[in-house]
Amino acid sequence: MQCLRAPLSDLSVLERQRTRAEWQQQGQEQSDYHPYDADYCMQSLLPVEASFRALHSCSGGGANENHGNVHGSNDCFSNAWPDIVSSMHCPVVGAAASVEETSVNASSSSSSRKRKSENTRRSKENSGGSDGKDDSNCKRIKEETGGGGGAPPEAKRPNKRKEESADASKENDKAPKSDYIHVRARRGQATDSHSLAERVRRERISQRMKYLQDLVPGCSKITGKAGMLDEIINYVQSLQRQVEFLSMKLAAVNPMMDINIDSFFGGREINPTCKSGSIPMIGMSSELLDQSSYLQFGSLQHDMFMDSSDLLLRPNVNPPAAVSDTSLGSCLNVNGSSVWNTNLQNVYGVEFQLGRGTALPFQSLQGNLLPNNLKMEM
Amino acid sequence: MQATKSFERAFLKHLLRGFRLSAVSYKSMSLQERKSAIKLSADVAMASARGSRKWTRGLITKLSKEDDHRSFLRLILGTEYERLTKPCHGSWKIPRSKKIVRRSLRVCSRRKNNLRAPHGVKSSVLARTLVEKRTHALKRLVPGGESLDGYSLLDEALDYVISLRAQVDLMQKLLTTFEASKLSALSKCTLPERKASFVGEAGIHQQKLTEKAQLRPKLTL
Repeated sequence: MQCLRAPLSDLSVLERQRTRAEWQQQGQEQSDYHPYDADYCMQSLLPVEASFRALHSCSGGGANENHGNVHGSNDCFSNAWPDIVSSMHCPVVGAAASVEETSVNASSSSSSRKRKSENTRRSKENSGGSDGKDDSNCKRIKEETGGGGGAPPEAKRPNKRKEESADASKENDKAPKSDYIHVRARRGQATDSHSLAERVRRERISQRMKYLQDLVPGCSKITGKAGMLDEIINYVQSLQRQVEFLSMKLAAVNPMMDINIDSFFGGREINPTCKSGSIPMIGMSSELLDQSSYLQFGSLQHDMFMDSSDLLLRPNVNPPAAVSDTSLGSCLNVNGSSVWNTNLQNVYGVEFQLGRGTALPFQSLQGNLLPNNLKMEM
Repeated sequence: MQATKSFERAFLKHLLRGFRLSAVSYKSMSLQERKSAIKLSADVAMASARGSRKWTRGLITKLSKEDDHRSFLRLILGTEYERLTKPCHGSWKIPRSKKIVRRSLRVCSRRKNNLRAPHGVKSSVLARTLVEKRTHALKRLVPGGESLDGYSLLDEALDYVISLRAQVDLMQKLLTTFEASKLSALSKCTLPERKASFVGEAGIHQQKLTEKAQLRPKLTL
């Protein structure tokens, strides 16, 4: 099975039922099961939708030849035929893989939320290949491919299995493949599919709650789900209100806006080869902002504008010393070489009050600048 | 968790483009209209910078419900507009009859209560209803969240919060930039005058912000 990448988007319920019926038939035909280890029971589900989808999209003609990831259910489960879960393989590579993978799994599982099902992720996907490599520990993989892709990395599976048996919790997804979550039933806990599925679901939800706890300020003490949700709701509401407020402020500043926007764009067009790159130069350290490049700008206003925006948008590397002797008078000098210093002082002079005023704990750039003389004026 | 730099860059780019597009009629608009135009630009910029997520799709569909926004959206987003407004399978609202849903929920909850709390523990029921209420509230807040289940709702809310934070940050920085350049335009006047105007502005600003802080009520359900 080359690709299980097709999105689940257009699969209808009818199709799913059809594939389930198909699969069931094949499941009966399976001859050799390998008994599972008595120690653990693994739930396995097959991405029937995945295979079905892949059939349509990948393999072209011989649609029914390719069946990937067919597992035999085991005798040790009470319900031998677990519900189908639409666990799709997510074509994500790289660092974002695990997050996206879980979100894709989440989105796909949400489509089948009526059926309580469980995702079990296999370590390797089965892409073509034969059955010959099963061990006693391995799940049975049935392949009916005509040609088939690469041989399934069956050899790796036992190793994977041992790793999994080592940890008692859900295994995290490895980037390239795996649709399934391996879950090991803990000692003394029910092993039927419903409770396992619920446990997986609960663990994922609590993981998400933890992330949200880190995001939302002031949530470290709150432990309950309801309280956390409460905080999240408040936070989202306050952020949305802030956006409204800021857009109001921007509208108030607005009569200047046409000129400013033009100068913004004008500045950019004038100096396209500026080392600092296009607007905005976020994330650039101060060394990269070449002072000389600004002197190429034509008008005074362009200078001021570009400088202040770039200074604003870069991370907080400002030395407080530069701001400490700020006086508003110094921003008179905006010509020539003093552009840099005066802009910095002017900008941070204006900036700090916004930072202090909004008083939000997550203020990134502005919060810490309180030069003394400006403070007195406040 | 931080929004990525590319997100910030894309956001600002789209935002400024939106400003430019709507700046044509700025002179004739009232403050409220300008504010809503800016907000629209900001939301569109955020959604387009983030790419394709459930909440971005929901947001764009919500925004494009009004006809006058649609042309604006099309201009900003270009080809992405069609792609983003195409409903994905997750956001298809399955048409449900309310009566049937209510009845089934009642039956299910009764069954659950009989199984789990045969000795009549009320607190779990209470806890569950609290969580449900809050989940509904969150669903209303997060755009496109109505059709999501618990886990994906939290996932989308997480993403949405990150993007909102980045949006607020960037708009603040933009605002200070504008104000700074405005100040520079006033640099013709003398020092004490300018100091006075600066303090005056600061006072008004501080006042506005404290008002805003007071207006933030706690969520009541």
